[in-house]
Amino acid sequence: MRNVSVLLVSVLILLVAGVALAGESDKVYGEGVSAPDTMLVSELMATPEAYIGKTVRVKGTAVGVCAHRGCWINLASDTEGETVRVKVKDGVIVFPAEIMGDMVVAEGVWTANELTMEQTKKVCAAQAKEEGKEFDEKKVDACMTLYQISGTGAVVASK
Amino acid sequence: MEMRTFRKWCRTFHRELGFLAVGLTLVYAISGIAVNHAHHWDANYERTLERYSIEPPGTGPTSEIEPVVMERLAITEPVKSTWRAGETEFQVFLEGGGYDVNLATGEVVRHGFAKRPLLFDLNFMHLNSGKAPWTGIADVYGGMLIVMALTGIFLVRGRKGLTGRGGVLMALGFLLPILYAVVSRGGG
Repeated sequence: MRNVSVLLVSVLILLVAGVALAGESDKVYGEGVSAPDTMLVSELMATPEAYIGKTVRVKGTAVGVCAHRGCWINLASDTEGETVRVKVKDGVIVFPAEIMGDMVVAEGVWTANELTMEQTKKVCAAQAKEEGKEFDEKKVDACMTLYQISGTGAVVASK
Repeated sequence: MEMRTFRKWCRTFHRELGFLAVGLTLVYAISGIAVNHAHHWDANYERTLERYSIEPPGTGPTSEIEPVVMERLAITEPVKSTWRAGETEFQVFLEGGGYDVNLATGEVVRHGFAKRPLLFDLNFMHLNSGKAPWTGIADVYGGMLIVMALTGIFLVRGRKGLTGRGGVLMALGFLLPILYAVVSRGGG
């Protein structure tokens, strides 16, 4: 019976040693990036329909991150004021708050979600709240298509 | 194998693994409660928010207003990057926080965040944010829980055991998740 305890403790020590040796890994999230070319966010946003369903890789400063679950980041475009959202599956990739302001290369499938009027109003209301602006639902007169990268991986570019 | 020997093995495994699992169970249990309420609070970071005003820098070209903003904010820490989020919105990113500046009104929001001591690390392990190395430990821990659950059934004999109160409690333990699954699926 003593052997059982020794064996169990040994396994645990080996596993913990593995963690320690692995140390602070590179800032690679999920599967990292593998697509051959990085495209400009502005290029992607100029003709979003052309890339639907395709794997895209973009680079930009992280200017927004999901506060509670780390399940998305917004990357700044090369065009002022424009951003692109990289949405990842909850828990599969968790972006930390520290990523804000870092240069990030992200990859994933470009997706389009056509929202209903009700959904559009909800999204607009949430955006207004996030930006601290007043929201008037009467001003929403067209349904929105929400484009985003369904992210599979990201890498924080070395500083 | 005789029942008596089998029980002895069960007791040994249950006891040894039980001691080994105390630390890991606390990691998962404490973090579990914390992240269960992620929609109510930020389980990983303590956040601060401070509002004040500076003289409005104006909404001119970014190359012109950026040095003005930096001077008026009088930032002493190293700046990671900046971003002109809109005509009147300018953001400055620092380690552990940043500034949102309204260029037209001069209103400033200073955001700060710091990892919650201990809880951040517990959540990091629980959510397996570090992936590969911890996956092995978590798998072993999962296996340990299975062994403990199964060996636990055979620890006590008689009316407090599987054929008595223990069996009823075990049935309740199965019933709860089954009922929840049925009800939640029924509700769409």
